[in-house]
Amino acid sequence: MRIDNAHFTRRRFLNSILGGWLGTLAVTFVSPIVKFVWPPYKEPDEVKLAAADYAGMKPGEVKMFAWGVKPGLLKKAEDGSYIAFVGVCTHLDCNVTWKPDQKKFFCACHEGWYDENGTNIQGPPPKPLRRLEASIEGEDFFVRKPGAAVKS
Amino acid sequence: MKIDLKKVGAWFDDRLAITPIVRYATKKEVPQHEHSIWYFTGSSILLFLAIQIVTGIMLAFYYKPTLEGANDSVARIMTEMPLGWLVRSIHSWSATFMIAFVMLHMLAIWITKSYRPPRESTWMTGMMLLVVSMVFGFTGYLLPWDDLSLSATKVGTNIPNAIPVVGKWVTQFLRGGDDVTGDTLTRFFLFHVCILPLVIFAILAVHMILVQKEGMSVPLKDEIAKKKVPSLPFWPNFILREVMIWLVLLGTLMTIALLFAPSLGPSADLMAPAPAGVKPEWYFLFLFQTLKIFPANMGPVTGEFVAVVIIILTVVAIFFLPFLDNKPGGKKGKFWTYAGIFGLIYAIVFSIWSLL
Repeated sequence: MRIDNAHFTRRRFLNSILGGWLGTLAVTFVSPIVKFVWPPYKEPDEVKLAAADYAGMKPGEVKMFAWGVKPGLLKKAEDGSYIAFVGVCTHLDCNVTWKPDQKKFFCACHEGWYDENGTNIQGPPPKPLRRLEASIEGEDFFVRKPGAAVKS
Repeated sequence: MKIDLKKVGAWFDDRLAITPIVRYATKKEVPQHEHSIWYFTGSSILLFLAIQIVTGIMLAFYYKPTLEGANDSVARIMTEMPLGWLVRSIHSWSATFMIAFVMLHMLAIWITKSYRPPRESTWMTGMMLLVVSMVFGFTGYLLPWDDLSLSATKVGTNIPNAIPVVGKWVTQFLRGGDDVTGDTLTRFFLFHVCILPLVIFAILAVHMILVQKEGMSVPLKDEIAKKKVPSLPFWPNFILREVMIWLVLLGTLMTIALLFAPSLGPSADLMAPAPAGVKPEWYFLFLFQTLKIFPANMGPVTGEFVAVVIIILTVVAIFFLPFLDNKPGGKKGKFWTYAGIFGLIYAIVFSIWSLL
């Protein structure tokens, strides 16, 4: 049935209302499911380490720390400052390792190499290792994402 | 009281209508020609699938899909459970045999062009079954949770990341977060023992119904010549031949599983550097090597992105192969036959290359 001057029939109008309502209902059911399946895990903005554990490092030495669930690599530069890297290959996410004899970072999965500054120099890695900022604040040693707001 | 079995049978038949199915199976005929041997590859896959179901359920009785328990529980299955090492070995080897026979089955159909009308949708469901089988293998590979399986999973689940926008979402779905963790293990176990079985049964049911509905294909040249191909009754002649092949395959599988049981590395450590010699299962080796040869960057995009796009396009092309290879008798048909042979040679060469 179509009312005079109407753009659509009553049937189509009612079907659209019903369809829209069912669609909305479906979204309200599905959205919490999607939220549950894709968990809100984020990597940390900063981690706090005990400064004592890293105090005795010699220049050029590299030590591991936990960056959330990923390995982090902390390097003491020749000038005594610290640089930290996320120890995960930028190619396909394998954990990299420090080769002290060659002063390079190495990923065994697809033979990717990074120099001591984390720059990709050989193999498939498309980008340098991700850098983090490291600083000693009293007893604590902080490693932060570059540009992350200082908590404390 | 004497039970009249015939009456009981008739009662069930009244309600379930089994007679037409039985009548169909006994009247069904299988064509006999020089390529008939390839018909057996299909039922061989079913044999290995059945073995996977039985041994998989057995393993799941003792397996624990958690970060702390997984590796230990596999070690326990292998050392404490009677013949546990053999059950795991059969499950692992039967997976290999199943994938190998799926590939053989599809290659035979590709080369004999049995996917020509009206069997296009049979091919397409078959291609879906290949993908599901490979996902089965990929998810199963992580479950022992040793250092090799962890690194292989990190690489595999990171590959969708190369695709802009949706890729990150897929990776997070597979991993249950931004990184491979204990949640990934639990998720993979669930995919492996619950979601994928449901999916494979659903697709397999359609595939089998299509095979019955269209019947077995005959060689292209006989079809063109309109030659009447001799045939063999499905029951009992063809089934008997199938059973003989199953026995041979079962014997081969058992022998290999006995002699070459898979090993188990130490429990995976999320913080440890990737071990040397990370390799996926053999059926992923050619993809692994393909990813490896692409340079880091190709102009504005990463080499990985280009590789992933090429792989996806190839899979899509194979899925729609019956429509691409739509003049099987002519020059175009020859081209697609050679494309299939080229694909096989490519896969073999790249697999061997990845092991060097």
